Amino acid sequence: MKRIDHRALMVPIVILILWQIGSLLYATPLFPGPVKVAASIAKNFNVIVSELGHTLLRAAAGFALACVTMIPLGIFLGRVRTLGRLLEPLMDMLATLPPPAVIPLVMLFAGTGDWAKIVIIAYAASVPLLMNTYEASHSIHPLLSKVAKSLQLSRFETMRLIDLPSSLPMIATGARLAIAASLLVSITSEMLLATNGIGVYLQRSQETFKIDAGLAGIAFISLVGILINALVYRLEKRLLFWHYRDTAPAE
Amino acid sequence: MRHWSDKLRVPFSIGLVVLVWQTVYLLGIVSEKYFPSIVSVAQSFWAMIVSGDIPAADLKTFGRALVGLAGAGVLGIALAILSDLYPSFGKGFRYISDVVQPIPPAAFVPMAVFSLGLGIKLYAFVIILVTIWPPFLNGVAALQSVSGVQLNTGRMLGCSNRELLWQIKLPAAMPEIFAGLRYAATISLIAVIVSEMLAGRDGVGFMIFKKAFALRTADVFALMFVVAINGVMLNGLVNVLRRAIVGWHIGMMERSE
Repeated sequence: MKRIDHRALMVPIVILILWQIGSLLYATPLFPGPVKVAASIAKNFNVIVSELGHTLLRAAAGFALACVTMIPLGIFLGRVRTLGRLLEPLMDMLATLPPPAVIPLVMLFAGTGDWAKIVIIAYAASVPLLMNTYEASHSIHPLLSKVAKSLQLSRFETMRLIDLPSSLPMIATGARLAIAASLLVSITSEMLLATNGIGVYLQRSQETFKIDAGLAGIAFISLVGILINALVYRLEKRLLFWHYRDTAPAE
Repeated sequence: MRHWSDKLRVPFSIGLVVLVWQTVYLLGIVSEKYFPSIVSVAQSFWAMIVSGDIPAADLKTFGRALVGLAGAGVLGIALAILSDLYPSFGKGFRYISDVVQPIPPAAFVPMAVFSLGLGIKLYAFVIILVTIWPPFLNGVAALQSVSGVQLNTGRMLGCSNRELLWQIKLPAAMPEIFAGLRYAATISLIAVIVSEMLAGRDGVGFMIFKKAFALRTADVFALMFVVAINGVMLNGLVNVLRRAIVGWHIGMMERSE
């Protein structure tokens, strides 16, 4: 069933055509049509790719920082139940505070350098990672805890050998949300406190009235998002094959 | 049987925050210019309430988030229904959602400012463009996975296709659509704050940015608190609506436990 549905393809085509007609009607550089944007992609390819590189590097650093700190913390809080339960409202509170609201604050603490942005990205990625890791290790099957006991594992060994692997499927879900968040916050923070990156590029395009160049940048952001999503999906299928094998319905 | 920690957890969490905060403040690890005491944050919060700055700004911000969320909810559900009626349209629209979804709300703002101005049109456009996806995607998935038993029951009772959609499929899909709406509420608040920071005219987002540049840290913390309250309120509103519309579902879930 890999046949391409031609009628389905009509939807994006119709929207592109309408967009083009609209831009021809208004005939202003402030509302460029798809043809102009495509030309602009060809023209600005090198700049966009190098700026996007800065953005992705920072997003990756922030995400890595969040993984290294939040996954162990989540498992710890899930295993040491009383502490986890006491801190649950705190985690909920943090989850309601949108990451962009933190941007000006971090700007005060850490200036406008790379680290300020990495810290904000890490904060944004932390919330879904911590919540999902905690939720997974908290609601672990009781039988697994008994296995750990009968093997006489220490607390640390239980967390490492039992809790971490069995939480991985849910951590993967959290990681997917966290990756999306870190990309989003990375670009947003660049637009607000910027030196380089795709966010700066977008701002500069607006300031010089090159809306077509800006839309070309947005097209690349979307492309990168799609590629990363596909990559994560592949990785998940490969690394967590045991989970999908177990949950797949018996045929 | 409630664990003792259940009763104490909210005060404990708040107490811990206050304790850590004041310890950091009193030890002077971070200069007071950047890290004010809770007392001064509370004072500036109160001062901004009395002066009318916070109510005025928050009315705008919350109103924008609400308008955007309502628009995104209605449009998202409408598109989901349309996709269910015309599968080809649904598949085609999925291409669009795949392409638009990864783009952060902030990226749209500078591009749209010239065509849409700085008014409600800009906010509505940005918010709807980023918040429409959770209700839409959840709606499509839920409408598709309505169980055959329910559908056949409807057919046996003589429902036409249209009645089947309105009386059986849509109510059955509502709980999942509300899960999407709850997620959308958070995103819409983020989108409003970011747009206000970038458009730079009014609202809580703009105030945060202005105060941060003026190094009025206590004010910034107070405004962040306002943002968090907004998040809770918006969530609460969606929950009230959820109880009103899919209360039967919540009752069912609680009984099965």
